[in-house]
Amino acid sequence: MAVNVELVRPVQRKASRVSEFLRNLWENRLLVALAFPGVLLIFIVNYVPMLGIGIAFQDFRAETGFLSPWIGFKNFELLFGSPVVWRLVRNTLFLNSLFIITETIAAVGMALVLNEIGRRFFRRLFQSVMFLPFFMSWVVVSMLIFGWFDYEVGLVNVAIRNAGLERIDFFNNPDIWPGLLAFLRVWKTTGSGCILYLAVLVSIDPQLYEAAAMDGAGRLSRMRYISLPMLVPVIILLVLLSIGRIFYGDYGMIYAIIGSSAALWPTTDVIDTYIIRALQSTANFGLSTAVGLSQSVLGFILVFGSNWVAKKWSQRRGEDYSLF
Amino acid sequence: MTNRTVADRVFSAVMYAIAVLFTLGCFLPFWGMLVASVTEKRTLIREGYRLWPSQFSLEAFQWVLRGQQVITGYAVTLFVTIFGTLLSLALMSCLAYAMSVKKFKLRNVLAFYIYFTMIFSGGIIPWYITMRGFGLYDNVWALIVPMLMSPWWILVMRNFFNALPSEVLESARIDGASDVQILTRIVLPLSTPVLATVGLFVAVAYWNDWWHGVMLLDFADFRPLQVIILRIINNIRAIREAMAVPGSTITIDMSQVPALSIRMAIVVVTIGPIILVYPFVQRYFIKGLTLGAIKG
Repeated sequence: MAVNVELVRPVQRKASRVSEFLRNLWENRLLVALAFPGVLLIFIVNYVPMLGIGIAFQDFRAETGFLSPWIGFKNFELLFGSPVVWRLVRNTLFLNSLFIITETIAAVGMALVLNEIGRRFFRRLFQSVMFLPFFMSWVVVSMLIFGWFDYEVGLVNVAIRNAGLERIDFFNNPDIWPGLLAFLRVWKTTGSGCILYLAVLVSIDPQLYEAAAMDGAGRLSRMRYISLPMLVPVIILLVLLSIGRIFYGDYGMIYAIIGSSAALWPTTDVIDTYIIRALQSTANFGLSTAVGLSQSVLGFILVFGSNWVAKKWSQRRGEDYSLF
Repeated sequence: MTNRTVADRVFSAVMYAIAVLFTLGCFLPFWGMLVASVTEKRTLIREGYRLWPSQFSLEAFQWVLRGQQVITGYAVTLFVTIFGTLLSLALMSCLAYAMSVKKFKLRNVLAFYIYFTMIFSGGIIPWYITMRGFGLYDNVWALIVPMLMSPWWILVMRNFFNALPSEVLESARIDGASDVQILTRIVLPLSTPVLATVGLFVAVAYWNDWWHGVMLLDFADFRPLQVIILRIINNIRAIREAMAVPGSTITIDMSQVPALSIRMAIVVVTIGPIILVYPFVQRYFIKGLTLGAIKG
């Protein structure tokens, strides 16, 4: 008997846990109903495409869709054998690293600067105006860029011509663009990016500054030895989290600004813009999906890795800034 | 901050200078654009960008607002933004509420279900095929449905709901209120800060969206504003490229490229509504950007 009980109990417990869960669902059927439309939409928009990953292993045809013939890893062999891929990976990693570095420096720097603006009125004014570019879509920015950098009528080239110098043909000069794109990113994101840092700075105990001032520290050294160290944890965590997304190109920006200007692709074409073009020219869907899948898998590993590092690192400080 | 040293004064001046320069850098492009849009078009070509219009003219705006394409685009963008934002808020708050009820055993499963979409995706091409498969193609729903649920904001809302005083919700439950009643009568009225914040970010995302218009509209006879602008940009680009080919004899249809003042007028019309509401909603944006950083 005793043996039987031992054998039966885990099964019973398991069954009762499942039935308990189902009972809980039934008792909360109203909540299930509330959650259902959202869950269904997420399923359609986010999860059904995951099933389509299979295309990466198929010889995709429009007529057969997700049920095209399987060809194993052929697409990946083709992919890693082509020189284009290395250009895409190099550009994506280089541009994103450049963006992370310049934007972080700009946002932290601007937060430190705004923190030193004593007059509340001016600080609010500066902050409000710096926020403006945040509202512009990259399409609108792209439209303005033609006004600035066009060879014939652009602001910059008109100024250069008036100064009697050689004009710069921006749209045929790929080497300029990584710097230019980073500049635009800084312009667009600093106003919103510095807000989090500023929130940290505002919460610093003013007594710290007073004590330092008593000891004869000037404002520069107070900024250097009090404000900046206070920001370090947040900086490290935000950088870690953006490293997690380093394989995802900012296609919203690059597609709107570079678009079809093939002359600029050597330095600006990223993984995402390549896939979008493949989609529009109805080129090899299987191959492009393989590109996307490699990106998703690498991105997945990096997001987890950087989140893990962020978590370990912040827990040591008794905090938790990680995403999940 | 008494007895300021010379070094401190210099330091302060440098800080102001940096802040003023960057502020001007953010403001002048807007101003230049606004001035260009109200400058008479031949004057604009002759003199380039100025800080003040030497020849004032509203011609560009008249031209823009006469064009059927821009009017339709405006109507589409307005509808998508208003309807999309309201629907999105409704659906996201229902889901977020269900996830915030402690006795609901599905809540952790739902949280993982949402987290997972933030860290893994099927990629653009399977997404495109799926959207077309569900009929989200060449109609206005293609601009609305894909953006309805954003995982980040669902989690922010859930965290906000979690932090509401549980005694109030519990006593309502004991009094026999159903979950729908609790959500609509107690939770939502207490949640205006988070609803306003999320609503604003979602609305700006809808207003500025061009991606779904480019991807999912091919033969439809309407385009949202942002896509109209993108098309103009692409036309200019194509013409510049054709001109760059040495000895090219390609004839160019210049009517496809609106004058600079008209382009600027279209941009002004496009960002106008956002700039106008900005002073009223600024504090919510600041709240929204710091809100997301705190994990609940």
